[in-house]
Amino acid sequence: MADEEDEPGFDEELDDGTSGVDVGHGRRKRLFSKELRCMMYGFGDDQNPYTESVDILEDLVIEFITEMTHKAMSIGRQGRVQVEDIVFLIRKDPRKFARVKDLLTMNEELKRARKAFDEANYGS
Amino acid sequence: MADPARIKSEGAPERTSSANEEHPKSEETENVSASEKPADEKELASQDQPKQEVKPETAAVEDEEEGPSGQPSSKRLKVEPEKKKEKRHKVDEDEIQKMQVLVSSFSEEQLNRYEMYRRSAFPKAAIKRLIQSITGSSVSQNVVIAMSGIAKVFAGEIVEEALDVCEKWGDTPPLQPKHMREAVRRLKSRDQIPNTKYKNIVFH
Repeated sequence: MADEEDEPGFDEELDDGTSGVDVGHGRRKRLFSKELRCMMYGFGDDQNPYTESVDILEDLVIEFITEMTHKAMSIGRQGRVQVEDIVFLIRKDPRKFARVKDLLTMNEELKRARKAFDEANYGS
Repeated sequence: MADPARIKSEGAPERTSSANEEHPKSEETENVSASEKPADEKELASQDQPKQEVKPETAAVEDEEEGPSGQPSSKRLKVEPEKKKEKRHKVDEDEIQKMQVLVSSFSEEQLNRYEMYRRSAFPKAAIKRLIQSITGSSVSQNVVIAMSGIAKVFAGEIVEEALDVCEKWGDTPPLQPKHMREAVRRLKSRDQIPNTKYKNIVFH
């Protein structure tokens, strides 16, 4: 289908030969089809979203992750992606910032709870 | 994981406050108003409330950090976190109760949708593989957690914008690619979609 994707490079990567190996979107197997369907329903779409819409969203998400990763690699410690870099990149967007803070805090809480539970089992 | 409809309010506030008392950086975790911690660890409540809460909370945090001059910041920080914890505790409980009331009045279809909203997530393995294929080196678990969380918020922003577009154009769900593309175009003009591939725009 004549996708008028705003992302440049989409068509170029499709025309290039080695489609299986390159990092371009569109050619690789659909990674998140099932999860994205559930997500779209959760966010307000129909219970059965169109496959084309799910594909577009998957491409967008993969591009987003790719961009964030590249940006994170270029700041802080070069060539590595660290949580601090992600938090720094996200700082201007209140929703995403709050979400990341919540997730990391909850993760810490869970780790502590699990550790306490394990110690209770095997400790004195 | 527990059913999102059965949200326990008793467990959450105590856990929140006790965990945050141990936790030194209490200021940053102001925004941890996640009311459904016991039910669904990784999912947050509806997006409206965290947004509303972030604004007053961040304003409060900023006030605290700039603060009136003269008082040493260390002393100031010791006194105010106590007040803020109480305020946050109340806000937490309020929000939890409101969420309970709300969720208990959901219809069956709304419950389904809410459950999907909370439980859907990107598979950590695939995200990890994707990031590692880009960096070429391994990444820590926290990075994967953060990235999948942000990606979900991002997907939500696009779907919400697309639903706005759909409604504005007089169409009905399910969303069509044209809605998605218009949503992307709008978000791009608001700089909510990162784009580091510079496009040479001649006629603007």
